[in-house]
Amino acid sequence: MKTFYKLATLTLMMTLLAVSAFAQEPVPTTALANLTEGQGAVASSGNQAWDGLSEFVLIPGASLMGASSTTTALYIGFTGGSEADIGNMVLYETPRNGSTVLKVTKVTLGGSASPSIDLASTSVCPIQPVSATNPCIVRLDTVKLALSPLDDYYFTVYFTLDTNNEKISGLGQSISPGALSGWSLYGDQTRVGVKGALPTNENSDQAPFFLTYITNQ
Amino acid sequence: MKTIFKLATLTLMIFAVSGYGFSASKAENLVRGIVGPVSSNVSWSGYTVVAQVPGAGLIPVTSTTTVFYLGFTAGAEADVSNMVLYTTARGSSTITAVTPVTLGGISNPMIDLASATVCPVVEISSFNPCIIRLDPTKITLSALSDYYLAVFFTASDSNNSSLGLTEPQFQQSSLRGTYISGDETRLTVGATIPSSLSFTGQPYSLMYVMTN
Repeated sequence: MKTFYKLATLTLMMTLLAVSAFAQEPVPTTALANLTEGQGAVASSGNQAWDGLSEFVLIPGASLMGASSTTTALYIGFTGGSEADIGNMVLYETPRNGSTVLKVTKVTLGGSASPSIDLASTSVCPIQPVSATNPCIVRLDTVKLALSPLDDYYFTVYFTLDTNNEKISGLGQSISPGALSGWSLYGDQTRVGVKGALPTNENSDQAPFFLTYITNQ
Repeated sequence: MKTIFKLATLTLMIFAVSGYGFSASKAENLVRGIVGPVSSNVSWSGYTVVAQVPGAGLIPVTSTTTVFYLGFTAGAEADVSNMVLYTTARGSSTITAVTPVTLGGISNPMIDLASATVCPVVEISSFNPCIIRLDPTKITLSALSDYYLAVFFTASDSNNSSLGLTEPQFQQSSLRGTYISGDETRLTVGATIPSSLSFTGQPYSLMYVMTN
């Protein structure tokens, strides 16, 4: 028994030494990584008049690329307009290839789920004016949610019924949608509760209008 | 001194147990699976569905096992005669390896789609497809190879006559697939994937290829 204890102690010492040696490596800072393939080419300068419309974007669990992250950053892009007035933003979670809501997570910008984005400001959109050649890509607040490949996610944004939103346009609908697909519906579609059913995608696998990238930070 | 040895042993045991706990692998995609809604394609008695998993589509996630998920949209029972995974060199149709694929340890399972323990949402449909996780196959997928999952549904079988498989509506997956009449799961090393098969569409039934 004494020999066993000695052997165990020796093994422990070796383990500690090995761990210590590996710990000498510099702690890597978290690198920016795509969680799924975002949109490629920026294509659109159209699709204006988003007042009173919601956009749904499917982020399929089956497309997640294995980057481990406890947070998710969503990026939305604009190619026109001076101000985007958002009524609400949420991230729905459903079973893979299903439509029943399992969870609803609030999405914010500057801490608000209903921000007004000043697209005419150089602090928001450095290159003015915003256009298809100079799109403005806005990074929303990171969502404290680890995307799972066993579920699907729907990012939904509702644009308030106002004159500013009559003039905004999204950068998407590109020919290279990555793994994303999106469609629009009238009205505020961000209020579906848990166990509710999401509306049917009627636009097939078209690229989203606004949601562009999904990364870990 | 004896106490120190005992404490060291205890610490080592804790390390070992916690290490084992953290090593439990979580499911990750090996390729981009089926995305979006699916429709239903019915009547599969006597047909082999063949799904291509292209090496060029592999996500760089390391795994010594590969798990296939099959989707069903209609029927009470799926009677499978055989399931295999063919390996070819990338872009080649010559088979270099044949790996058995199983469910519950057998390659010819009968899948009870009417059972709530198998398919939690009964009755299954294109809105509520039943996704069956096959046994982990002990193979590490390589980016230098292509893979073909072949599943033969028993011929002259009334269950399979009313069997519905998932048929993707979106074209965004890395997976490709087709079907052929007869049992094409008996090909051996050196044989070729039938040239009549065209992998221009998304696969029937195969939904996901994951690490677990």
